[in-house]
Amino acid sequence: MPRERPQGGRGAPRRRGMGRRKVCRFCADKTMLIDYKDTRVLGNFLSERGKIIPARITGNCARHQRRLTTAIKQARTMAMLPYAAAYP
Amino acid sequence: MADRRYETLVLIHPDQGEPGSKEVAARIRTLMEEQGSTVSQVQEWGLRELQFTIARQRRGFYVLFEYRATPKALLEIERNLKLMDTVLRFVSVRQSEHAPPAAPRAPRRGEHEEEGLEAGPELESVSEGEGS
Repeated sequence: MPRERPQGGRGAPRRRGMGRRKVCRFCADKTMLIDYKDTRVLGNFLSERGKIIPARITGNCARHQRRLTTAIKQARTMAMLPYAAAYP
Repeated sequence: MADRRYETLVLIHPDQGEPGSKEVAARIRTLMEEQGSTVSQVQEWGLRELQFTIARQRRGFYVLFEYRATPKALLEIERNLKLMDTVLRFVSVRQSEHAPPAAPRAPRRGEHEEEGLEAGPELESVSEGEGS
């Protein structure tokens, strides 16, 4: 008899600890380019306060995270992205 | 000297107005050409809102230049841009030789409502997993 699982219902049981393995979105979708002018894409990697979300959370690979941060910083220089968001 | 492909985005003071900003853009273009560079594209994005105030301004005219220049010429172009009072900010980036030219952009804001649709929920679920 298989080990008993806690009855959570709805679909597959959630893996403990690690959660779903994250894939770098720029590696998965080659058409998605990192460009400092594209605030739509860059905005996805900023927290509500305007901080850069760590790769640990987003799952970006090191190479793309590196390019992303420079792009965000270039966009900030041009005032297209905030350094820090205003208090809500 | 081998010339390289560059791109410079310039932020022009809003007090210049639409015609004034065009004039400044034209001046920058001639400046670039005087330095022996060939300008392949000039994109005017128009008056856009800034994410924070610069020189007490909330808006500014963005103009994008695509050109080929030698590294020396770029230095000279940047030096001159710094001297222009009407230029609030600029950023120069070297483009890869085979990158496509900058796509024309939708003027102004307003398209920002759909933002986050592609990524927002995904990121949330990821951070949930992190906590457990």
